[in-house]
Amino acid sequence: MKPLHPRRRGLVPAIFLAALLAYAAWPWLPFSRAEATPPTIVFYGFSILAEVFQDGVFPAFQKVWAQEGGGRVEFASSFGGSGTVTNQLIMGVPAQVALLSLESDADRLADAGVIPHDSWKRLPNAGVVNLTPFVILVRPGNPLGIRDFEDLTKPGVRIVHPDPLTSGGANWAIVAEYGSGARGAPGGEKAGEAVLAGVWRNVVAQAASARAARTQFENGFGDALVTYEQEAIYDRGRGRLAADIVYPPRTILSEHTLAVVERNIRPRDRALVERFVRFLWSDEAQRIFVAYGFRSVRSELDRANPAFGTIEAPFRIADFGGWKRARPDIVERIWKDRVMKEIAPP
Amino acid sequence: MSAVPAAAPPRPRATVPVGIVLLVLLPLILMPLAAVFVFAFRGGAAEFVRVLSSREAQFALRFSLLIAFATAAVNAVLGTYTAYVLSRYHFRGERPLGILVNLPVAIPTVVVGTSLLLLWGPIGLLGRFLEPLGIQPMFAPLGVLLAHLFVTFPYMLGAVKPVLDEIEGTYEEAAYTIGASRWQAFRWVILPALRGGLFTGALLTFAHSLGEFGATVLVSGNLRLRTQTAPLYIFAQFEAGNVAAANAVAAVLAALSFLIFFFLLRYTTRRGR
Repeated sequence: MKPLHPRRRGLVPAIFLAALLAYAAWPWLPFSRAEATPPTIVFYGFSILAEVFQDGVFPAFQKVWAQEGGGRVEFASSFGGSGTVTNQLIMGVPAQVALLSLESDADRLADAGVIPHDSWKRLPNAGVVNLTPFVILVRPGNPLGIRDFEDLTKPGVRIVHPDPLTSGGANWAIVAEYGSGARGAPGGEKAGEAVLAGVWRNVVAQAASARAARTQFENGFGDALVTYEQEAIYDRGRGRLAADIVYPPRTILSEHTLAVVERNIRPRDRALVERFVRFLWSDEAQRIFVAYGFRSVRSELDRANPAFGTIEAPFRIADFGGWKRARPDIVERIWKDRVMKEIAPP
Repeated sequence: MSAVPAAAPPRPRATVPVGIVLLVLLPLILMPLAAVFVFAFRGGAAEFVRVLSSREAQFALRFSLLIAFATAAVNAVLGTYTAYVLSRYHFRGERPLGILVNLPVAIPTVVVGTSLLLLWGPIGLLGRFLEPLGIQPMFAPLGVLLAHLFVTFPYMLGAVKPVLDEIEGTYEEAAYTIGASRWQAFRWVILPALRGGLFTGALLTFAHSLGEFGATVLVSGNLRLRTQTAPLYIFAQFEAGNVAAANAVAAVLAALSFLIFFFLLRYTTRRGR
């Protein structure tokens, strides 16, 4: 290479950096800004909601809002484990609407003063936007012959499970595993605890969210994954599911609760946010949920999706006295204090 | 034992040692890097362009670059000034301060994120007084910038201070004897000598800011199209199973970093020091 004059040596990097800066700043330059930014709804959701909201609900609502004469509306959104989202809300992220995996996360928000206690109960359907049962994903052909949660307790089954500390789905899964035992056998609580202990003895990986757990499983890790039915049938619909879905005879239907964070809604955005919240329970939005694999709060709409499997004896969190009792009773007392201590290595 | 006449040692053959280095680096560094590009282009070049030109990917890249430029600019000034003060003045507590300003590289970035939140967040020590005033640095671009300034602070210092320590005080003193002010001495004597250090420090800061993840994920709120940086975008897309989208942006970041370090190497080796 021929030596450059010292002054010119920095020329190439300088031009490159200037071009990079121009590219980066482009949308914010005064002449490139086409119009004033439209009002924005800030939405936080738990992990598996990303596609249904981004590709389905947001565009549909943008149409509705424009048709009703509201003009343009933008969405800023973030998706993560329900526990993570709850912690972010407590730390003060500017979320206006948050869809949480479980009601006890809404309780935590209320305890932290983010939203008033039980404020979601005044929303339609007590704040529950949609549902999905918990299923087991196994490798194609089901080589281990898994039929229910009890089969997951067999020695040598390697289970991928989301982490109950950050994932709402993991909490649902714990109640599903416990309930499968407690409601199936006459042993009640003892039988439920036995299933939980057996399952958790076989857990080989914990991911921060249901979505992250699925990615781990997809990458070939583990023999079985406990997750939302929606995850599985949404993937199957796109031809991406390299797994079989096992419908346990007894499992829980998870119910996903909406939290509206009033303190983050400016007065001029109130009508917009309220309209969006109402839209979530409209037939149109509920049909979108069904198309993306969620079960609707109006079960007659579920017929539109033939992918839904049947569950012999589904149960709900209300069967355990709601999350207010299930969390301390099942997650804290049985799973955390007893099962996890029992199976912890000495 | 017969004495071997002292002849010029034979020029070492490079094949074997270079081969060993490559063999070691292959699984450690080269193959993982290659995997980024393999998965980025697995769907073909058209697919690569398509996922890269999505609104969110474009926003994330631009936002990351702007933050990196801002971080490099602010820390170039702050870091150089701190280096100058630490190098020219001697005072009590000089050493502890010298250690403190270098700490950010050693602290886990997650800790940086949480402490910034606990300080400036809406329920933080200072943040709770700012909140009623409508000032909210966290979960906004400013919060991301604050995190990056903290995390990358030592790079500028590390690049500039050794050069400053080396510059003979006599040149500076000579400048004072002919009536130069402190600023003039700095501008005309020290700054020209610092150019290499400034360039190196700024590019290192820029590169690190471009790749920062741990602190950013906490202070940004991870809002798409608002505060989601390129590394956060990559993580979110990978978690969601969109490997192509994640790796397209990752490939761009890797290529940018390669260019930055290429410039760095070219500049530093040609200075003939």
